[in-house]
Amino acid sequence: MEGEMLKGHLDMIVLAALSAAGSAHGYAIIEEIKRRSGGAFDLPEGTIYPALHRLEQAGLLNSRWMTADSGRRRRVYTLTRTGNRALVERRAVWKQFSDAIGGLLGGTRPRENPA
Amino acid sequence: MIPDYLDLLTHELDFDRSLSRRVRQEVEDHLWEAVAADSTGNILQAQQRAIARFGDARAIAAQFAVVSLAKYTKRAGVAAVLVIAAVFMAMKARIAWYAAMQWAISDDMRAVSGLVLQIDRYSFWLAVLVGLGGWVYIRSRGIPAAFHPEYRRQLRRFFLLCTTTAAALVVSVISDGMLTALQLPGRELSAEFLVPIGSMAVEIACVGILVFHLRGIALRVASTAALLKT
Repeated sequence: MEGEMLKGHLDMIVLAALSAAGSAHGYAIIEEIKRRSGGAFDLPEGTIYPALHRLEQAGLLNSRWMTADSGRRRRVYTLTRTGNRALVERRAVWKQFSDAIGGLLGGTRPRENPA
Repeated sequence: MIPDYLDLLTHELDFDRSLSRRVRQEVEDHLWEAVAADSTGNILQAQQRAIARFGDARAIAAQFAVVSLAKYTKRAGVAAVLVIAAVFMAMKARIAWYAAMQWAISDDMRAVSGLVLQIDRYSFWLAVLVGLGGWVYIRSRGIPAAFHPEYRRQLRRFFLLCTTTAAALVVSVISDGMLTALQLPGRELSAEFLVPIGSMAVEIACVGILVFHLRGIALRVASTAALLKT
């Protein structure tokens, strides 16, 4: 998938992966993204970390240090309540958007928004 | 190979030492975990692959620079408000001290002090209004994913608000210094001078802190732009 297309949705992808994984460190989040997307998302892995720091600053994630089995220090991230709410909102917006685009490309009418 | 990559990344993140340390530890853990997960058995090639998948150190540092800049500007907004509050408390403490000591400006200096007091008052309230405006403005902005033109415009606006706040505070503190100087002639040097002089020192230090933050923003903008240029 196009890198630029992915970058625009990186925050939502990270929030969704973290929501599925629970608490996780950067590497585990990337693995979760790869697993859930069937390997379709192929960004430079390092791109995830600035996104994690940005989301943490925005109050959507918490993080703490822990020691891995290897003995290395590891930063583990968790979604905050605000992060969970943001993910729900972004999912709804994405659903609406993808329905509309799907309708456009597939030639079918998108479902009417009940709201 | 991984230590060299980490050194390069740490070097690129030199503009923010605490961020640099944290990122180094996170990335080190990531890369060694990627090497451990590599099934080929060739450790050198596994390290090469892990680094290649991670991406260019300079490009990643540039993304971190934007996050660091956003964090620093938000902190500068808070600093502006705290500096204004500290200057206000120092002024009030000095006035309360004058009242307690029954110090008053001599009659022949009253006209001059009245004029200086007006300048002091207006410049201070200008600093309060603009400083609070700057804090609210930067607080309400999100943290961007990239150093895009709209974010640069936001930074310019915030920098202008902070510079105006600092300039107004400098005028206010100079006025306070003049008013303090007008209180001192004809009095013998004693421990009673410590409060007015100490409070003036606090005001000057506060303005210094704000100027330091402004300089920090300018330096970080320059380092972020430099990272993105190449």
